[in-house]
Amino acid sequence: MTETVGRPWVRADARAKVTGQAKFPGDFGMADMVHAKILFADRPHARVVSIDTSEAAQVEGVVAIFTAQDVPVNEYGLQTADQPVLCGPGSGKPGADVVRFVGDQVALVVADTRAAAEQARGLMEITYEDLPVVSDPFEALKPGAPQIHPGREASELHPELSTEGNFICHHQIRKGDMEAGWAQADVVVEGQYHTPGQEHAYLQPEAGLAYIDDEGRVAVVVAGQWAWEDQRQIAHALDIPVEEIRVIYPAIGGAFGGREDMSVQIVLALAAYRLQRPVKITWTREESIRGHCKRHPMWFRCKWGATREGELVAAEVQVVADGGAYCYTTNKVLGNTTITCTGPYAFPNAKVDVDGVYTNNPPSGAMRGFGAPQGIFAAEMQMNKLAEALGMDPVALRMRNLLQDEMPTTTGTPLAGGVHLQEVTERCALAAGWERAEEGWRKPAAKGVALAGRPKEAMRTGMGMAVGFKNVGFSFGYQENCWLRIELRGEDDIERAIVTIGTADVGQGAHTVLQQMAAEALQVSMERVSLEASDTGTSPGSSGSASASRTTFMAGNAIREAAALALDGWREGERPAVVEHTYLAPETTPLDPDTGEGFPNFAYGYVAQVVEVVVDVETGELRVRRVVCADDVGKAINPEQVEGQIEGGVVQAMGWVTCENFIAQAGRVLTPHLSTYLIPTIADVPERMETIIVEKPDPRGPWGARGMGEMPFLPLAPALLAAVHDATGVWIDEFPLTPERVLRSLRDGGSLLECDWE
Amino acid sequence: MSLDWLGPGRVPVTLNVNGREVEVTIEPRRTLLSVLREELGLTGTKEGCDEGNCGACTVLVDGRTVYACLVLAVDCSGRCVRTVEGLRRAENLHPVQEAFVDQDAFQCGFCTSGQIVSAVSLLEQNPKPHRGDIERAMAGNLCRCGAYPNIVAAVLEAARLEEAPDAKD
Repeated sequence: MTETVGRPWVRADARAKVTGQAKFPGDFGMADMVHAKILFADRPHARVVSIDTSEAAQVEGVVAIFTAQDVPVNEYGLQTADQPVLCGPGSGKPGADVVRFVGDQVALVVADTRAAAEQARGLMEITYEDLPVVSDPFEALKPGAPQIHPGREASELHPELSTEGNFICHHQIRKGDMEAGWAQADVVVEGQYHTPGQEHAYLQPEAGLAYIDDEGRVAVVVAGQWAWEDQRQIAHALDIPVEEIRVIYPAIGGAFGGREDMSVQIVLALAAYRLQRPVKITWTREESIRGHCKRHPMWFRCKWGATREGELVAAEVQVVADGGAYCYTTNKVLGNTTITCTGPYAFPNAKVDVDGVYTNNPPSGAMRGFGAPQGIFAAEMQMNKLAEALGMDPVALRMRNLLQDEMPTTTGTPLAGGVHLQEVTERCALAAGWERAEEGWRKPAAKGVALAGRPKEAMRTGMGMAVGFKNVGFSFGYQENCWLRIELRGEDDIERAIVTIGTADVGQGAHTVLQQMAAEALQVSMERVSLEASDTGTSPGSSGSASASRTTFMAGNAIREAAALALDGWREGERPAVVEHTYLAPETTPLDPDTGEGFPNFAYGYVAQVVEVVVDVETGELRVRRVVCADDVGKAINPEQVEGQIEGGVVQAMGWVTCENFIAQAGRVLTPHLSTYLIPTIADVPERMETIIVEKPDPRGPWGARGMGEMPFLPLAPALLAAVHDATGVWIDEFPLTPERVLRSLRDGGSLLECDWE
Repeated sequence: MSLDWLGPGRVPVTLNVNGREVEVTIEPRRTLLSVLREELGLTGTKEGCDEGNCGACTVLVDGRTVYACLVLAVDCSGRCVRTVEGLRRAENLHPVQEAFVDQDAFQCGFCTSGQIVSAVSLLEQNPKPHRGDIERAMAGNLCRCGAYPNIVAAVLEAARLEEAPDAKD
């Protein structure tokens, strides 16, 4: 009847967003509302000896000041509760009196106006005893280094979490026989790489409004990615039943992983609960950049070997990741790095060691790609260097080694859901101008370029390629699930289908896609489907996080299964026909702690990119002229939104590689403004962006769809660095590619990365 | 302790916002952005940085784009302020708004009000912009979702719509 899936439906919230009517968390207000400001530690490592609120409390309009002693259970965290809600003495939680990064929260000041709260915050007297700071993960692993979280207990739920020193977690892979592998290798390439942190810089800073709702619950209106999990953590800290907390997500101004861990949620709920009145907070940009997590900075040491014919025989990779002050999702992020740092290739022999390390830097957590962009960067740099060493075309070398159906990965099991790495590589290369001749693949010659006012000999052009893959969902043994409810109303025909689900639309367009899939599954028109989403008050079950490229896959399958059940009821005469259902994703297993063997994920996405650059070798400036991206999305439920995700992912990755430069020195953030942390503008996007949507269905995906939101981010960095090498003959093994770094590397003939590897 | 350190007391200011005269009594230190959002409830204009770096608060004052976070409300006394809420033409969307919907020129939508206001201003000054004109005029409006290619397409489409309202393809 209808064909709603596969068509470019206009976003459900489009009209509200172009007229300014869409309400984001900072846009809400209530009568009798008071305003809160958070006192941040602003120092990277210190013990809070005492807190004197007396002067602050005298400020006209101050309503309340909350400190550690007011938090019933002073801890939170998505994977492990290692972060105090408010740092300071008196909460009874061991270690909660220590601040471990500049963004740790020490007090919440509530007043009639924002200005009064701000003034009172400035009058808070905190006595600190500064502790030694460790901001380099290599230093943090040395004997005698300051200990960030002494006395940790082992986690049954997450055995990869470490209790030793400053290790957050460890993952490893031991596959095959390394000695035998090296014996077969005719060519060995060794490399060291560094990938920097990255600030999410979503345009909507953290904000929220908490109040007591009609049913007496503490309602928190906020932007997040996993309402059910926010609710659980708030209830835990306040020590009240989960049902007494309600989390509501209105329009969300971007997330990119940065809202998976919490920011304002618990303190807002605490204040509203204690005061029994509405409390509002809005972070400044500076508070946002200091206060939430970043992408993990990582260091890699790689040694890969291949036969003369280009067959990969052995890979050894060591990774150190700066996890910052708290765990956040480090263990999960590094699981992804573990499986991606040897690339999408069939290695018979592999040895991988990945360590997450606590430091006094801002915590590292989820950000688009979740550990895969870093792993793929190291892997694809190695692959492009191998191609050069072997004198082979980079496409040809990949076609020979890419994983295919039924081939075991380094974890000993094949990738699930159909492997289409060769398709994306081929389609991308052909579109970019590669020739497939009888003797093999041939890269096109880069065309010269002229730029007004610049000498022609200074302008070098180059082209580079890379391939990426990433899992859909968290998995690694975690049972992925998605709850929803479908209610069908009407008499003879279904007049209204109400889908209730917790899933967040963080701007990617999830709610539109969900509505499309529901219309398709129920065979009703889009207009008859209404979505009630992102409110734990109506969705008691967890629909999971809007992250890990999992939403379309998980919610789509939940919709399909629930729709079938609801239609059964409808046909049997139920009016309304109501179904509550939880879709369970196929089971996965954690990686074996010794060998890394396992079946970590139930689905994957695949992507290949070619990047063309022009490098000005006199100024060090570079310009991305063209990006070709082939992305296997299984099925594009909404092709226009898929294209938007591809273009947006490319732009964000370009920012990471070129202009974004997050600097923390001795734990202090030196780039806390958008004037010092530069994200791409409209004038920075590639001159040409070509997206190729490949639709090789995942047999278990809804209508064949696989996750896709993160994939376009993955290969951009190594493809761009390969293009710079093609243009200049120099391999630069770290970024961002500031003009200074480019010039220095050209002068030195490459990067001079020095790490204290043990 | 009182808040006297914040400066002189409140003063009455008359603003013309989206064609309507409004009177507010505000401290002179207040930005146009905070007055629009907090006094007038016009929350379509967004606070992304409050320090002139992101463009989410872009509005028109006497036809020129300004960052509302960098302008004092008292300085707008007697001048015409236009925000995203004032762009509609009767019941219809402004052609720029229509083109943004049509071209999917946003994802999260937080920067969209500012983008649209900047585009409206550009087209009022330059009805037939080229890509380079658009890049120059809109480089002060950040979009972290990276919807830039579609924003360019939307501005070009809006220019076509303005020229020939029935030309929408």
